[in-house]
Amino acid sequence: MAQKRKPERVDVAIIGAGASGATAAKVLTERGMRVVALERGPWRKRESFGGDELANVNRYNLWPDPILNPRTYRASTDAETKVEMFCPVPQMVGGGTVHWQGWLPRFTENDFKLRTIAGGLPGTTLVDWPISYPDLEPYYTKVEWAFGVSGAGGVNRYESFRSKDYPCPPLPPTRYSRKFYEGCRKLGYSCFPTPMAALSRPHNGRPATVQSAFAQQHGDPTGTRSSALSVWIPDALNTGRLDLRPDCYVHEITVDGQGRAKSAVYQDADGDFIDQEADIFILACGAIESARLLLLSRSPRFPSGLANGSDLVGRNATFHEYSAAIGVFDDPIYAWAGGGYVATSSYQFYEHDDQRGFVGGCHIASAGVGIPLPINWGVPDRPMWGLQAKQIDRDFYNHSFAIGMVVHDMPQHENRVELDDKVKDAWGLPVARITSKIHDNDLKMGRWVIDHNAEILEAAGAKKVYRVYPKRITGNCSHQHGTTRMGDDPNASVLNKWCQAHEIDNLFVVDGGPFPTGTGANPTLTIMANAWRVSDYIADRYDAERKPQ
Amino acid sequence: MADSQAGGSSRGERFFDAHQRATIEAAMARIIPADDQPGAREAGTVEFLDRYLSGLDFIYAKPDGSGFEKLEGKRAEAWQRRIAILRAKYVEGIKELDRTSQSRFGADFVRLTTEQQDRILAGTERPTLQAEAGLEEAQAVAGFAPVEPALQQTSTEIELDFFPLLALHTRQGFYADPIYGGNKDRVGWKLIGFQGPASLAETHAGRFTTLPFFAEQPIDWEEQKHYGAKA
Repeated sequence: MAQKRKPERVDVAIIGAGASGATAAKVLTERGMRVVALERGPWRKRESFGGDELANVNRYNLWPDPILNPRTYRASTDAETKVEMFCPVPQMVGGGTVHWQGWLPRFTENDFKLRTIAGGLPGTTLVDWPISYPDLEPYYTKVEWAFGVSGAGGVNRYESFRSKDYPCPPLPPTRYSRKFYEGCRKLGYSCFPTPMAALSRPHNGRPATVQSAFAQQHGDPTGTRSSALSVWIPDALNTGRLDLRPDCYVHEITVDGQGRAKSAVYQDADGDFIDQEADIFILACGAIESARLLLLSRSPRFPSGLANGSDLVGRNATFHEYSAAIGVFDDPIYAWAGGGYVATSSYQFYEHDDQRGFVGGCHIASAGVGIPLPINWGVPDRPMWGLQAKQIDRDFYNHSFAIGMVVHDMPQHENRVELDDKVKDAWGLPVARITSKIHDNDLKMGRWVIDHNAEILEAAGAKKVYRVYPKRITGNCSHQHGTTRMGDDPNASVLNKWCQAHEIDNLFVVDGGPFPTGTGANPTLTIMANAWRVSDYIADRYDAERKPQ
Repeated sequence: MADSQAGGSSRGERFFDAHQRATIEAAMARIIPADDQPGAREAGTVEFLDRYLSGLDFIYAKPDGSGFEKLEGKRAEAWQRRIAILRAKYVEGIKELDRTSQSRFGADFVRLTTEQQDRILAGTERPTLQAEAGLEEAQAVAGFAPVEPALQQTSTEIELDFFPLLALHTRQGFYADPIYGGNKDRVGWKLIGFQGPASLAETHAGRFTTLPFFAEQPIDWEEQKHYGAKA
């Protein structure tokens, strides 16, 4: 056990320095609090990133190595459990934002009350959120301006109220974003420049983006794309109040005699165990890993895991499934330009509409076909090998693009994260086992949206269109939510509306775990806005309760 | 193969013996054949694979292209395990190719005509296809040819059978950055028309831009505000 000196107690310990944890670190340190951030992965600097698809996508340079960090999955409660890299996210300072291309759409007002709008849906645990769009709107604006998001407010006809336009104008159109725009125009659909975490002009001392082909799933060596690593971490370090400790893997949150969170026990890079005490603990490991850490933190007082008296930790897990219609065109598209995701979006299918025969809807947008090369790309009728496969690569690669969707999958009680009873990670801890059974509503939504995406491609002049319907949830977006859902009723939720555990008042979760529904949009902007909102609450409360005048 | 399971890179940048290397090169030449444009043989994909299997010295290029990363700790242990598993699959897969070639055509795989080689490879591929509901699912499971723009790798190469593994590595060697030993003279990129960077250093320094391949016309977003009915 630990030979090292026990570290000093701090105001706040944040577990996980990705999108949400780094947001909290910035806000809390700027509010004067002393923060330790414990990140299980390395702290990589931008010089360590490059344009190398083989390393970044195929050889786990950024993705978790499944030999070290496996997960298991089953398609339903009675299906066989398999080792599968379900819904991974890079584990390092900056988390998933290190390698994203950064689509940052906002949710809409109706996302917070889908149950009221659509009614109940059998087999699901659909609920309204305990917060509403106006609660988050000021924080959306704060994040967009800190990140220098490139976009155009007011273009999307389905957008909810915004107090301020985007700080940077849209990125210039790519050929694939233009084709999508042309298809939408022809059909009379609303579309808008996808709001992106990249600078279309210099912002806060950072230069405009260079538009490399290596963006989606590649780290940014130039510092011109915005991420938790390039924005929040420097902001927090500038205060002098952040102690950022990489390669520190938290195994357990301990509790004191009153049942409050007492310390985070972590293993450092040398393998030593350290006990970090703090007044407040914030979990920010992503919805899968935060739930896993709560379940790993068993004690006589919390025998089924921390904050799990409701038996809801890990349940109601939702994961977006990415799927697409792919169009092949006569003219060159160069869908690798800008990395493949300098896009146009539409919310035409976003809001719930009873006429469509399913609940909810989703964001659609134009997208590349490689990452950026055809190493990790294919079309349904391409054989595995031979001349015909080569011919398809040659003919289609520069002439195709996708219109992607994310399935807004419905929350279900049995879709959950648990501790696997057989498989352990390289540190000897049980891995997360994910149970995810696709709901009929997800399949219906997938078919309907893909068919409509195909119509947009045809309207844009595609000579051939592939429809790839989602068949199961694989977690291929890395988006994950719901495992510590927030709500007003302690029997029906893990956290209250401040993302504070009902059972433990000095324990918060700020990743996607608190989201009662998955919505149909990329979640990270909302995750960061919500983390900022919760951090403001924590700082206000800390000032009021712990430091009386 | 006396030392097929040996760790490290005792033979420098190579793992295969001469026969193994010739067999893999011939099979790769059928997976991406030459036509009026070069194929896997011309791209040097066997060199790419031989280096990969040689040890831990060629796993990650340094992002500025100045060499390769040195792996340490748990990461190195994981790669040692992975490379050992892959080596065993190749050694066994090559033996099986020769066994099948001998029994059907009376010669080792490398001595067969290209038509005979195609028939052997098709037979090797068949179990993978039959194991799955169809080509699409097989491709998705094989991990090397997702049927849509992949957002991540949900399958891992150590779980693949010999043939999909070989096809995956052929594809990687054909299209990956030339620093890994394949894609010689950028023949893979020329085939598909990818106007990539001159080197990893160009991307690393922020000099590689794709702006010339963006749309020529702008979009009038103001005008677009009038499209789409509010639900």
